[in-house]
Amino acid sequence: MEAEPRDAPIKAVPVRHPGRWVAAVVLVVLVAMLVHTLLSKIPSPTGRGQVWRFGWDQVGQLLFSAPYLQGVVETLWITLLAMVVGITGGLLVATLRVSPNPLLSGTAWTYTWFFRGTPVIVQIFFWYNILTVYPSLSLGVPFGPAFWHLDPNKVITGFIAAAVLGLGLNEAAYMAEIFRAGILSIDAGQQEAAQSLGMGRILTLRKVVFPQAMRVIIPPTSNEVISMLKTSSLAAFVGIPELFFQAQATGANTAQLVPPFITISLWYLAMTSVLSVAQYFLERHYRRGTAAERPDRFVQLWARMVTKRRVAVFAPGGAGESVPVPAPQGGHG
Amino acid sequence: MVDALGVRKRFGRLEVLRGVDLRVERGTVTCILGPSGSGKSTFLRCVNHLEKIDGGRLRVEDELVGYRQKGDTLYELTDRQICRMRAQIGMVFQRFNLFPHLTAIENVTLAPLHVRTRAKVHRTRGEQARRVVTGRAWRERREHRAAVRARARQLLDRVGLADKADAYPAQLSGGQQQRVAIARALAMEPKLMLFDEPTSALDPELVGEVLDVMRGLATDGMTMVVVTHEIGFAREVGDQVAFMDDGEILEAGPPGVLATPTNPRFAEFLSKVLS
Repeated sequence: MEAEPRDAPIKAVPVRHPGRWVAAVVLVVLVAMLVHTLLSKIPSPTGRGQVWRFGWDQVGQLLFSAPYLQGVVETLWITLLAMVVGITGGLLVATLRVSPNPLLSGTAWTYTWFFRGTPVIVQIFFWYNILTVYPSLSLGVPFGPAFWHLDPNKVITGFIAAAVLGLGLNEAAYMAEIFRAGILSIDAGQQEAAQSLGMGRILTLRKVVFPQAMRVIIPPTSNEVISMLKTSSLAAFVGIPELFFQAQATGANTAQLVPPFITISLWYLAMTSVLSVAQYFLERHYRRGTAAERPDRFVQLWARMVTKRRVAVFAPGGAGESVPVPAPQGGHG
Repeated sequence: MVDALGVRKRFGRLEVLRGVDLRVERGTVTCILGPSGSGKSTFLRCVNHLEKIDGGRLRVEDELVGYRQKGDTLYELTDRQICRMRAQIGMVFQRFNLFPHLTAIENVTLAPLHVRTRAKVHRTRGEQARRVVTGRAWRERREHRAAVRARARQLLDRVGLADKADAYPAQLSGGQQQRVAIARALAMEPKLMLFDEPTSALDPELVGEVLDVMRGLATDGMTMVVVTHEIGFAREVGDQVAFMDDGEILEAGPPGVLATPTNPRFAEFLSKVLS
């Protein structure tokens, strides 16, 4: 047997992975089939020549046409407003839910029960038709005189209000549960430490619990935003000219159904991609002070390509993410 | 400073404290020893009202903890009054409980920056408006923040961690974390410090640095109640040593009792711990 020097580097034959090769071949064939069918042509319905099977030329025309750009703007608006309602409402409901006051926590529970328990499209229609049950709104003493009257036609006929209320109030119920899960994920010792310093309940929530809970809250919240972007298509049913509405309109006018829906799918994909990147950076910010478990290798690689920066183990808030920070020393107790 | 008289506490059917009597004089160190589950930590948590007591009387500086007495009637304190009381009592936990999203110095400054300790100054609206317009309010606020930060640096220096001010807890060793926790508790300028097994979660080699800081505090005249398993520390630093078992204090006295325990259970406990 040959001598084995202490510092001999390891030279070993790597394990073969024949399964990977088989998988690669199968995948290549499937991708080739997909590309082929996407780029194939069929005889034109008008009988003259051939057209793209998926109508790519129409997709190209529609993609940046005025109605579709308007649709993008409307979709973004509804998503934004509904999420603002959803997140602020959810924060409020979650704070009430963890309150020691049984009346408040009961109210919050009932809210979640109701808004999570009825279909969102029904809620949108309800707000859309609220005028039939409340022909006028006024502010005043309960069961007493009113000081101020409001013509609800001015509020609700903007259509968008019905969609935002329907989507937003429904979302608040889900966001409340996400916030609550975040609050519950924080070790009880954190609240005790804050209490022992004389910090009150709300101050403790604001300064100690929520900042830490954000790490747990952000991934499902991003999920909700992306989901909302797509669910906002329900607004088409109360006449808001957002993306889905435009695709239906094109379909009805031209009897061409596939190209408009491919077009809006591309738009939805583009918008959700942007949101996914935003999610990555938000998560990185709230990883402050925790050892780096990599949240998502795939996204991280992309982010690194975009920023051309090394992602630090610790990202002390704000300045100098690429500054090397010493690794944790010793035990965590 | 602390006056416990027949303090009782039950969790459901389990009676954890069965009439605890203990007096802690101002400026002294009391070490509470005893086996796990004897109620030491629960008693400590009662002192700053993290737990509500079910019976007996517990006073800190002659004021009932968590209650106000008028005639023969007890009134529960409001949340705000409880907070004000807790702000005067520092507590150090076995598991440190530092805020992991804040740096060492931010841990120390959090409570002094946000918890109001002095009574609110009443000003007329005109005065307040003038203070805002002239920038006086902002300037005072800025000065207050600077003062709090300077004091936090002093405290970190006192526990020997001036150079770790900007480190996050996860970047510190257990002993360093516990010393930051002590600085954090001191930041509210408490009259009384409670230590709940402050060295039990530490590697043996890190225990010394934390005990040194506590020794320094005792020398400076801080009133301390320490639940601990460090018999040596109790003997050297303690002015009073109390032995607790099964929800009662069985023996209390000067550290001399460690050498000549009269209670047989205390003697047995010591012989097990010291062997």
